[in-house]
Order: sequence, then structure tokens, then C-alpha cells
Amino acid sequence: MNPSLTKKVIFDFFDGKATAIQRKYVEAWLADEANQETYYQYLDEWESQRPQYPVDAEKALASFQSVLDNSERVDTPVKTLKTIRPGWAFNWRGWSIAASILLVALLGGFLFRSKLLYKSYETAYGQTATYRLSDGTSVILNANSTLRVPRFGFGNNTREVFLEGEGEFNVTHTINHQRFVVRTADNFQVEVLGTEFVVYARERGKRVFLNKGKVKLELPQGQQLYMKPGNVVTVANSGKYQLTQAAPARPYTAWKDHWFYFDNTTLTEVAAQIRERFGVNVVVVDAALAQRRIAGNFKAEKVDDLLQILSELLDLNIVKTHQRIELRTPNYLN
Amino acid sequence: MLSTTRLTEVCMQLLPLNNNPRKADSSPLFSVTHQSESEANVTDDELVFRQLFAQDAKQGCALLFRRYYTNLVNHAVRFVYSKEVAEDLVAEVFTNFWQDRLFEQITTSYRAYLYKAVRYRAYNYLRWELHKSDSLESANDQSMPASLQPDQVLHYSELHQKIESVIQNLPPQCQRAFLLSRIEGKKYAEIAQEMQISTSAVEKLLIRALSKLRQELKAEWFITVILWLSISASYVCI
Repeated sequence: MNPSLTKKVIFDFFDGKATAIQRKYVEAWLADEANQETYYQYLDEWESQRPQYPVDAEKALASFQSVLDNSERVDTPVKTLKTIRPGWAFNWRGWSIAASILLVALLGGFLFRSKLLYKSYETAYGQTATYRLSDGTSVILNANSTLRVPRFGFGNNTREVFLEGEGEFNVTHTINHQRFVVRTADNFQVEVLGTEFVVYARERGKRVFLNKGKVKLELPQGQQLYMKPGNVVTVANSGKYQLTQAAPARPYTAWKDHWFYFDNTTLTEVAAQIRERFGVNVVVVDAALAQRRIAGNFKAEKVDDLLQILSELLDLNIVKTHQRIELRTPNYLN
Repeated sequence: MLSTTRLTEVCMQLLPLNNNPRKADSSPLFSVTHQSESEANVTDDELVFRQLFAQDAKQGCALLFRRYYTNLVNHAVRFVYSKEVAEDLVAEVFTNFWQDRLFEQITTSYRAYLYKAVRYRAYNYLRWELHKSDSLESANDQSMPASLQPDQVLHYSELHQKIESVIQNLPPQCQRAFLLSRIEGKKYAEIAQEMQISTSAVEKLLIRALSKLRQELKAEWFITVILWLSISASYVCI
């Protein structure tokens, strides 16, 4: 085919007007390296005829000129565009060994990175603890929870901590308005400047209760939500969330003094809370019993304290087996 | 051979900074007869650039920028659909070209290199934007394959045509919000005012536009990823 015809076909191809056969032709034509040069020449011509928007090249050139003037870094090691030399192929074994070593080193560094950079605070089952962070923020951790904070201080950027479990944060407002971010699993995060709130992030879902100030939530789907004092946001594992306007603080903060707060709470939910806080597997064997609801404040530092209250309140039998504790009504038969 | 200053003057006269879009046929700006067979694949103004680079690389970079910046940004914006990203991306290509002295190594024309580098970066950026789970570092990954299969070369053009058609087919409101945000670089509040809707509605329209793109391009990614894998595999099998 003659050159001018080729050019027309290629322009049509750029415009998206080429037929399948023409595409094949262009593909075959490109197999010759020299033609790839012509291809980019045509592409440049094509682009210059189809401006998308007025480009301010003068301004860009000025800043590029400063790059040219300021960095005479002639000795910079060359990082890019390594051409493959023929000898390379024969030495592939050496390369693969080097690559494996590098991979192991990187992996090791990667695995230990969080250990090196972050300090963990952990609470055991049935235990709560109060910590004061380097910026003055105080955190009360509920039982069975982990908080990771940067080992070497927060630096000048965002103050970031990672939470698994439940904790109450009393965040100090810094002079330079550094944001404080609590990250949890599944891309859920709470962002504040200075305020008091409780974050719950366990297997069953996530919940934030705001006591004072203002917080911003980043939900897993990329949505953002602002909370006002008294608001509770609950996020299910499915990603569905629900905002309750004005809630009393007590149900969300009772755990700080080893209290359980039940308000029309099913026994199933009670069992789940016991599992989370004491690490004891409590099973409600009887379906009707599982739906019974209780209300009230109960102080329990050990799991037995609460179980005793439950048995008296609901007239239950508590059967301790090897791995679990079963709750059943006295006349219930297997 | 011309002296550097003289050569620069010639280039300045012949290279208007803003390419005139209405020019019916932008024929090569210089016609230089090929002096040797080895340079047969390096045509037109490329030869002048080569001479200039041999004498003064800095001056050469500046002129290369002058000559190609506008067209490269035009090209990049077809992929990334954001004027800011396109401009940054092209500037980065030029910065690397200068700082890492890539002009000493390339075996193709400067033009082919620049277009390939811009396409490669734009593609990586797009991949990052649509699959945010990849780290941003992979978007800035500089290792570019030295040569491309014909099919890969064509695929880039087909990718931006596909993006264009997805955007053309967006619902009018959605399209308008998307273009105001990405091409005109307007803030949510400004778009809301211009379109007489709330900022949260603007946000929703933009999310919808992006998710539409993501959905429509899924098939494309698949093909492209396969292509990438096949060339890395062919390196190993040499």
C-alpha cells in the first residue's frame, strides 16, 4: 500500500473509524520497527489537529525550565529503561537467585515493618486499661482489644492509630490542628481534631458513639459521614450503616467500669457480649430462651458474676462443659 | 554544522509554542535528507533534535518540551480525563528524561519515546484510579517495557476510544458534572452552583461516572493485563 493511503488508514484508526480488516493491516504494518516510528509521528500530527482543551504550555515550560536549571544532577544513577542485553538470558539463574533473596528481604522487612514502627497495647479478656499517648490523648481500652500507635511519636502529619476491639478516646486538640485518625479493619476510619468518642470494631460489626465535638467517618464504600454529639453510627459487616440521632452515653461507655448495660437486650446478644469481653463461649441452647429480653445495669468483673445474676433473674440452669457454657431452662430436655 | 545558538534560533522560529490546531497538515517542520542508513528510522525534526542534544542537552530538553508538551498533554488527557493529572504526568516524563539522562540511552526517536512513556504512565494511573487497592507507587512505576508488540500499540488507542465512548454515553447531567470537575478543574461547590444542584448531588454524579467507567473498562483491563503478562513471560523464555 502506498504511504498516503497508509496515513489515511492510521488516522481513521486513531479516530476509531477503522474496520477490522484495516486494523489487521495496521497491526501487520507495525511489526516493522521503523513503521512504529512513523506511527508515533502520525499520532503526533493527529493530536496537533485535535486539541482537547487550551493547554497553558507557557506556564508549564517555565516550571520545567526551573527543573532544568536547578538540578544538574549528572551523577544520578540511571533508574529506567534498561534494555535487555543478549547475555542477560544466559544468566537467568543468577538473576532468579538475586530476585529470591531480594524478595525474602523485602518480605521480611514488610512483615516486621509494623512491629518496628508500631507499639501495641493489648488488653486480655475481662480486663480494661487506660493509656496516655504522646500527644496527651487518653485511651481506655475495653477487654480483648488491641491498639497500635506509632512507636516513634506521631510526627507532623496526621496522628494515626489502629484499633481492634473497643476503646474510648479522649483526643487532645493540638496547636497545629493535627487530625487524629482511628483506623480499623475493612477501611473504616474515624477522623477528629479533638473530642471524646467510643469506637467499637469487632467481628460482628463497627460502631461509633460520639460524646463531644465532631467526628468524620470514612465508611468502607468510600462514603463520608459527619457525626454530632449524641449520635451513634452502627455499621454492619454488609456495609449497611445506621445513624441514631440522640442516644444516651451510658450503654456505650458502661464497660469502662466493668458494667454491662442491657436495655431490652436479647439473651443471644448478651451471650455475644460475654464472648467478646471474657472470651468464654456461652451458648443459649433453647431457641425460645434465646429470644428472652432483659434490662438493667450489672457490674461484673468476672464472667461468673454475670452468669450468676442471669441465672437468678431468668431462672436458668447454667451447665459448664469442657469448651462452653450452656444456658438452658430447667425443664428443657435435649 | 550550525552553532548551538544559531540552531536554537532556528528552532524557536520554527516551533511555535502553541501548535496551531487549524493547520490543515502539520507536515514535518524540518526536512532533512538522511545522511546514513543507520538513521533511516529517525526522520524529520528528530535529526535536528539529535544534533542539538549532542551540543547542549539542556537546550535540547527545553525545545523538546516546547515542541511536544501540548500534544502529549492532549494525548494523556484522553486516558486520565483530568487536565491536572495529564499535565503532571507529562511534566514528570520530561523531568525524568532530563534528570536520569534518558536521552543518552534511547534507541528510538525522542518522539516515540515520549509518546510511549506518556501512554504507559497514563495507563498505570488509570489502572490505579479504577482499582485503588493497588498502591500509588505502582502508578508511578517507571519500568517501561522497551518495546511493544503491535497489538499493544494499537490497544492504547482502542482504550482511549473506549473511554471516550463511555463518557459520551453518560447521562447528560452526569457527563456535565464529570467534565466540569475533571477538565475544567472546578470544585464541588462551583459545579453545584453552576448546575443548580446540591454539592452532595454533585458528588453522587461523579461517583456514578467513575463507577460506570470502572464497570465498562473491566473487560479492557482483562485483555491488557494478559498482554502485559505475556510480554514479561516472553522475556523469561528468551
